[in-house]
Amino acid sequence: MTLRALAVAAACIITVVLPYLDILPGWTPALATVSAFMALSLIGLNLVFGVTGMLAFGQAAFVALPGYLAGVVQGFGAPFLLAIALGLAGSVLVARLMAAIFVRLPGIYFAIGTLGFAFVIEGVARALPTITGGASGLVLEAPFALTRNAWYAVAAAALALGIWSFAWLARGRFLRTMKLVRHDELAARVVGIDVVRLKTHVFTIASAYSGIGGILMAYHVGVVAPENGGVNASLEALAMVVIGGGGAVFGPVLGTALVQWLFAISSEADRYELLIYGLGFLLVVLYLPGGLVDGLRKIWNIVAPLPQASVTAPILTGQLPKLLPVAAVPTADGPGSVCLGVKKVAKHFGGLHAVDEVSFDVRFGQIVALIGPNGAGKSTLFNLISGIERPTAGRILLRDRDMAGVSIHQRGADIGRSFQVPRLVPNLTVIENIMSRLDHLPNFMNERDKEATARAQLAAFNLSQLADLLLNQIGIGQHKLIELARASIGSPALLLLDEPAVGFTALEVDRLVELLQMLRSQGRAILIVEHNVDFVARIADEIIVMEGGRVIGHDKPAAIMSNAAVQRAYLGALI
Amino acid sequence: MNLFTQAIFSGLMTGAVYALLGVGLVLVYRTARVLNLAHGEAFAMSGIFMALLLAWSVPFYLAIVIAVGASVLLAMGLHRFILRPRGNWPPGTLILITLGAAFVARGVMILLVGTDPVSFPAIFDGDPIRFAGGAITLQGIVLVVFGFSAAAAIGIFLTRTQTGKQMLATAENPYAAELVGVDVERSRLIAYGIGGLYSALAGILLIPLIAVDFQSGLSMTMRGFIAAAISGMSPTGVLLSGFGLGLFESMIGAYLGALVQDPVMFAILILVALWQSRNVRFGGGVRA
Repeated sequence: MTLRALAVAAACIITVVLPYLDILPGWTPALATVSAFMALSLIGLNLVFGVTGMLAFGQAAFVALPGYLAGVVQGFGAPFLLAIALGLAGSVLVARLMAAIFVRLPGIYFAIGTLGFAFVIEGVARALPTITGGASGLVLEAPFALTRNAWYAVAAAALALGIWSFAWLARGRFLRTMKLVRHDELAARVVGIDVVRLKTHVFTIASAYSGIGGILMAYHVGVVAPENGGVNASLEALAMVVIGGGGAVFGPVLGTALVQWLFAISSEADRYELLIYGLGFLLVVLYLPGGLVDGLRKIWNIVAPLPQASVTAPILTGQLPKLLPVAAVPTADGPGSVCLGVKKVAKHFGGLHAVDEVSFDVRFGQIVALIGPNGAGKSTLFNLISGIERPTAGRILLRDRDMAGVSIHQRGADIGRSFQVPRLVPNLTVIENIMSRLDHLPNFMNERDKEATARAQLAAFNLSQLADLLLNQIGIGQHKLIELARASIGSPALLLLDEPAVGFTALEVDRLVELLQMLRSQGRAILIVEHNVDFVARIADEIIVMEGGRVIGHDKPAAIMSNAAVQRAYLGALI
Repeated sequence: MNLFTQAIFSGLMTGAVYALLGVGLVLVYRTARVLNLAHGEAFAMSGIFMALLLAWSVPFYLAIVIAVGASVLLAMGLHRFILRPRGNWPPGTLILITLGAAFVARGVMILLVGTDPVSFPAIFDGDPIRFAGGAITLQGIVLVVFGFSAAAAIGIFLTRTQTGKQMLATAENPYAAELVGVDVERSRLIAYGIGGLYSALAGILLIPLIAVDFQSGLSMTMRGFIAAAISGMSPTGVLLSGFGLGLFESMIGAYLGALVQDPVMFAILILVALWQSRNVRFGGGVRA
């Protein structure tokens, strides 16, 4: 790690003084200044596109807009600093409005919306020559003149600040959240993340980076032109981020510097410029998705390989340690009081009554199992309880609170959910996957407490030896258990477990039974969907049998097993 | 000269183009689940190829065949050789690849003909036909009639032919379609083929009346998408929304000036987005 830090520090110093060393032909202070401003503006695109994965295809609009706004305001006689502030604020406000409109919809709307905005900015700038200077651009004047070296100092300092703030932002909780959102929005919502709000914030912050880089560049060059905010500029910006390495701290810097330098040293590149950008972009997307930074990292790993983590994974065997004494469910809800109330809930998809007038309660300290043939409405019911679907009729109460109008992420703290096919993040470690739920619980924990809590949880699940491995290094067999560990951390009142025992061996099922009994003894209310009837009979306090969207039996396991109607409808098909 | 009638005529022509572009975009989006941002490049490419081939004194009708054929092959090749092998990649990355393809297409077009707009003669000559105070060329009439009938023919193709029904099945549920023996990949390839063909033909018919440059592709993709989004991504509804969009844009251009067309298009996109947001389940975004 120290070797790496040293290398980074040395690289930074060399990079800063490089334009004056005359080693690299064509890399002059002037070019370095322009590249630095450009790279600063690309940090915004890197945040929104590289880190978050939003398809912001018109980001140049937010690079040019503040310059235009500032210039226009200055034209009305506003002082320089006020004009800059207004220009930036206006541009950020517009970004915020755009996000409010497009972020809620599928990504294609955001892609077309941002692209369309670049068309608008370029078109309007051309269409209103009296205000914007038309095709030749708007001349911007600063009340001072800086020397070439002073501009370079400003650019280097601004870029350093930009990189530092980005690195500070894109780590820990934020980075975990972003990876989760990017990989699986639904899982992110269930964990408690307000995805729409988050993406709106990210786009707004990103526009600030774009704007600061853009406005500095505009005053440095002295003019802002329509094509600076247009589609071509946006595509070139994307190309530089992608080529450098989307999501990486130094990605945009590397991409910008390389591309700008290549064009500076190659004469007559004008005609080929767009094609080279395009080919570079396409080839990197297709064959080196991590960009140059990733390529360099791979080379570095060959030079200084990390110690190989050994993956030993006989889980769920041997003695199971005690679960941690999690601060149990608040005392007002003693064991035996109702946690989840489902009152005459119905869900119709057109003419299909997926769930029809279903009522039942799940109490604290109780395990209730839902069984029934495929298509009985069990999964729909789970989706209704977690807020993914809205009921057509009826009410769902959680701790006596009506859940109507409570969105998925707002239920995250109270409900821990696992999925039929686990929805974990492959490029996070196991411990980070667990911590990503702690990140979004209402009571604040610092990073160290979160990690300690998550490690204790993994120890309780006998998963400690996997804690620091990336999820994609671990066999799919363990994912189910890791997801259960994530769902049950942070003492949710209700656990919704979708086929927790599927794919487990008999021995593993035994351990799962112990785990669930411990979770129950902590006072959790647990609702399980499961096809393994033997497992259900061992663990459940009550069994609910569904068929065709209706409850056809609800009783203690022994009674259900001997119920003739239930046997005919469901068990008969199995036994 | 009556401004209103003239705006109707030019609106019908652009509307025909938007309907043709929208149909292809919807077919590809529904069957292959990819928003093809390189869709409009077939429109621009066909025009650029035409201008280039005519400059090389290739016979007119042969040039049309080559230009259209090349555009269709490029669209199908994009799917067959670049997107299909990466079918399991996330949708966002696939969109990014189509954007990269559009990007490369723009670069190639600059290389071929430069940045200035190019054009070529119309297929159908003759004096403009005057009617109700407006004038429309024969080519314009052919474009409108072709656009309307070709976009409408898709509805018949999808419901009456075996191949069409297989495409509908692919759009509805590719896994289920595959299980009952539908060749899903063939359906998708045909969708790209039809998309490329319609875009290229729209280009051949419209470009002599306007002009084309390397920038036209993405702008056309965006308009095709807006038409498609208004119809709710319906392969039959996009006929109406395409013509509606063309007429509206033409009216705006006639009465407010051509330069406000981009902002107005964007405003329509915002309205569509707000309208669609209504349908998004509460909490927003993805579906389970």
